[in-house]
Amino acid sequence: MKRYVTFGDFDWVLLGFVLAICAAGMVEIYSATAGTKFAGAHMRQVYWVVGGVLVMFVVSRINYHVLLDQVPWMYVAAVTSLVAVRLVGEKYLGARRWIKIGGGIHIQPSEWVKLILILAAAKYFADARQRECTVGDLVKVGMMIGVPMLLVLAQPDLGTALTYIPIALMALFLGGLRLKHAAVILLLAALMAPVAWHVLKPYQRERLTSFMEPEADYHGSGYQVIQSLIAVGSGGIWGKGTGHGTQIQGSFLPVPQTDFIFAALAEEHGFVGALGVLLLYFMVLMRLIHNAQTAPDRSGTFVVMGVVAVLTFHILVNVGMVVGFMPVTGIPLPLMSYGGSSVLFTFLALGIVMNIRMRRFVN
Amino acid sequence: MAGDGLLKDPKWRLYLLGALLFLWCGAIGLRLVQLQIIHYGDWLQRAQRQQQRTIPVSPRRGIIYDRNGHELAMSISVDSVFAVPSEIPDPANTASLLARVLRSDPRDMVTRLKGSHSFVWIARKVDAETSQRIRGMNLRGIYFQKEPKRFYPKRELAAQTIGYVGLDDEGLGGIEHAFDARLRGTPGKMLITMDARRKWFGRVERQPDPGENVVLTIDEKIQYIVEKELEQAMHDSRAEAGMVIVQNPRTGEILALANRPTFNANIYKDAPQAALKNRAVSDIFEPGSVFKVVTYSSAVEEKLIKPEDPIDCQGGVIAVGGIRIHDLHKMGVVAIADAVAHSSDVAAVKVGMRVGEQRLYNYIRGFGFGQQTGIELPGETRGMTKPVNRWSKVSIGAISIGQEIGVTPLQLASMMSTVANDGVYTPSRIVAGVLPPRKTPQTVTFQRPQQRRVISTMTAAQMRRMLEGVVLFGTGRRAILDGYTSAGKTGTAQKIDPNTGTYSRSKYVATFAGFSPVNNPALTIVVSLDSPIGLHQGGQVSAPVFTRIAQQVLAYLNVPHDAEVKNDKRLQLRASVKDDELNEDSTDRIGGGLQAAPNAAPDPQPKSAPVIAAPSAPAKVVAAALTARSSALPSGPAPALDERLGGGTIVLDVGGGVVVPSFAGKTLRSAIEAAQDAGLEMEAVGSGVAREQSPPAGTRVANGARVSVRFSR
Repeated sequence: MKRYVTFGDFDWVLLGFVLAICAAGMVEIYSATAGTKFAGAHMRQVYWVVGGVLVMFVVSRINYHVLLDQVPWMYVAAVTSLVAVRLVGEKYLGARRWIKIGGGIHIQPSEWVKLILILAAAKYFADARQRECTVGDLVKVGMMIGVPMLLVLAQPDLGTALTYIPIALMALFLGGLRLKHAAVILLLAALMAPVAWHVLKPYQRERLTSFMEPEADYHGSGYQVIQSLIAVGSGGIWGKGTGHGTQIQGSFLPVPQTDFIFAALAEEHGFVGALGVLLLYFMVLMRLIHNAQTAPDRSGTFVVMGVVAVLTFHILVNVGMVVGFMPVTGIPLPLMSYGGSSVLFTFLALGIVMNIRMRRFVN
Repeated sequence: MAGDGLLKDPKWRLYLLGALLFLWCGAIGLRLVQLQIIHYGDWLQRAQRQQQRTIPVSPRRGIIYDRNGHELAMSISVDSVFAVPSEIPDPANTASLLARVLRSDPRDMVTRLKGSHSFVWIARKVDAETSQRIRGMNLRGIYFQKEPKRFYPKRELAAQTIGYVGLDDEGLGGIEHAFDARLRGTPGKMLITMDARRKWFGRVERQPDPGENVVLTIDEKIQYIVEKELEQAMHDSRAEAGMVIVQNPRTGEILALANRPTFNANIYKDAPQAALKNRAVSDIFEPGSVFKVVTYSSAVEEKLIKPEDPIDCQGGVIAVGGIRIHDLHKMGVVAIADAVAHSSDVAAVKVGMRVGEQRLYNYIRGFGFGQQTGIELPGETRGMTKPVNRWSKVSIGAISIGQEIGVTPLQLASMMSTVANDGVYTPSRIVAGVLPPRKTPQTVTFQRPQQRRVISTMTAAQMRRMLEGVVLFGTGRRAILDGYTSAGKTGTAQKIDPNTGTYSRSKYVATFAGFSPVNNPALTIVVSLDSPIGLHQGGQVSAPVFTRIAQQVLAYLNVPHDAEVKNDKRLQLRASVKDDELNEDSTDRIGGGLQAAPNAAPDPQPKSAPVIAAPSAPAKVVAAALTARSSALPSGPAPALDERLGGGTIVLDVGGGVVVPSFAGKTLRSAIEAAQDAGLEMEAVGSGVAREQSPPAGTRVANGARVSVRFSR
């Protein structure tokens, strides 16, 4: 039985949820930037989303097996680009994360590396014959993810580097990681923690601890955390209304259109709005997991779950940061935060998921 | 292991992930409930608190008027510059522009503009030009706030008396300090709120209450005359410092009080410490011969001497406690009046001894020495008077001629005024009254302070006559006035050298204290010059200052003449006097000075000379002059004098009501400022720019009236 891939099999429900989240994001971007030097950002976000949806449709037509076949050289290219950033990247705010490619466009390779790592991990476990994950697999996957992660960490970009970890964990988890091994990894991580702490820069350490006691350093690293909590808390049940959030309007919350957009949402649309958007995210993720279950093969499941891992990690950390559960790491909220790289990455990943879904009855 | 077995199925692993995800969402949801529902109130309060800033609005500081309602110190509205850092697009650039105009450190400015505060002062109370330049740059996030700034329109005039204020309008000297609590007023509150369009605007929560106005007894015109003449005297005598007091002897009102060196109160920070000092109340010095007024007054009052009694000046030598005192004018037996006129130390010592220690001390206290006069100026000292039980054998002699005692110039003025005022001591006052801050004509009633009699009217009259003798044929001949009689006493005292603690051989305080006209005194004037170079006797350098000031002030006050105008004889007398003839004898030290009296060996009592009634030649001159004056003296005080110096009521007309300004086109913030400037309360309706107002611009309304302004976009 052979069926052609049609848009009838496209996950329109998922797209609906995704666009609803994007719309909520645009409203908040508008509200947060009106009257500032970032004014008009919401329109740019619209262009990015439209572009992202187009990319998604295009990518959904590409057989993901073709992509998986290209993984080896893509991986090499990914690592090369990260090295290139290290050598010729643009320095901005003390970090080397961007490569200037002319025309005023800067690209941030670390975003795309995520996608390649998802594919690479999927490819590795799809090729593996046995259902159990051996120590050898563990080391190999660890190296595969670890090398680019260290390169990103050196930029330094702690936030993005951390997003590579869930890709590895998800792949190992689905790849049959044994509890014994998991325990050893946890133990190693616990032992490594003091070393990692020592390697971190002082401002990174401050960020990591200030969320626990934000009041201790009100005017320093605790400032953003407190302002975020004030924004969320003062939103109440129904919120202050679009354009009336005093925290974001008064610039108490720094750049609320990016990392703290969920705080802006919670302030202007209250508990109801925040819970609604949280529910939309939950639906999107459940829908993705469902697609993973129905994937035509093991590699498809791994790719979709890789995407789920990255998106979940972003959402967990970002929302956790806004409500004071997590340290301030500079990780954007997918689909809502302003920024082309983040939007395009998400839609690209969704495009691959769509392709996998549309092929669920193929073969 | 069942769990491990289950987990071997990838599907179960997916379910597990889904469940974990659900748990996380639940946790976030609960957190949102906690933040947004349970603790909603707290967070909302915190949000509101940081959207608002309450800044105090400085009240208008009270005005200091002279007795005729001329402003000596007033507050004008000037701009203060502040920033709202969050609104500044390019702090580095803004900072460098501001720093250039304000001539401040750009780095410091950047840190201020980059702060996370929503309000930061950039420059307080800048001048109009600076403010205009900053306005011209049209910087975003930079705002202006009107603040009252103290302004002294007459600059150096009576600077030490009026005082000065610090940056926050706190009184730091003079009346500004002494009456700070009443001049200050109550600050208002301005609530700065941020609206949803990132605009900060201020709303006056509570109007500031302006401070009360202080009316001084100082007369600006007299003060001006005094300042000018003192300046001239400083130049002529090359003295280190100088001081003049002009007082109404009847009421104790200080009409003028000038100090040198002086300062401009508008820029007091540049002034040396010495210039800020009000010497009239804070300087202690040995008065020298001027103090003999106390000695003779007590002796006359105690009926121990009469002016015409003879006294043996013993050829100008007397020994007190083993120390010999020499008179420069070696006189024999003369009338007491002559001894006073020529400032004989020998005679004064003998008279003092006759009065006796305890009685002399009582009179010293009676004339107000060793106590504060209670004048409304900060830093008044009591002076130094030792109680009798701490006097040495020499003290009675030393104190009789104004040594071993520390007085302030103001105490000397009080002493002279007491003699002038028929023997009644009147505490000195420099504040006529305090007025509530209304802009309507008001009257101040000067309350004459509690008076007390020190010597009888008779004694005072005899003293006045003797002191007139000092002017007419003694050491005070340079104090002869044209058209007025005058009386006074010279004094020249050695200064204590601060380095050695001993008396200086070259530095003197030259004093002249006097009053005029003699029989119905309108003015007491004390002139004190510190360390003049060259001529240094009170009669040589200070008496001419008295003359010049008295002459102008008496004319200004329309005091009726009591002597012939352009009387050649009197003027001749003044002109013909030679410097040498004005020397007095306080250069001989007896006693141990202020700090410690040496234990002098007891000495035989001075021989009491047999009294020989032999009036000397100058006494006749006195008699002649007295006769001449008596004929010229009109009866009773002139009404003009009463009007100006009566010390009764001072009427101030400082205008009534306020003219409503035009608010058209103003933003809420600048409209509030304009209303505040005009002393009006503003009621704002709507937002945007002002379109309508009621009452219309140009209307005269009561101070503090309410103006309604309608704003629209």
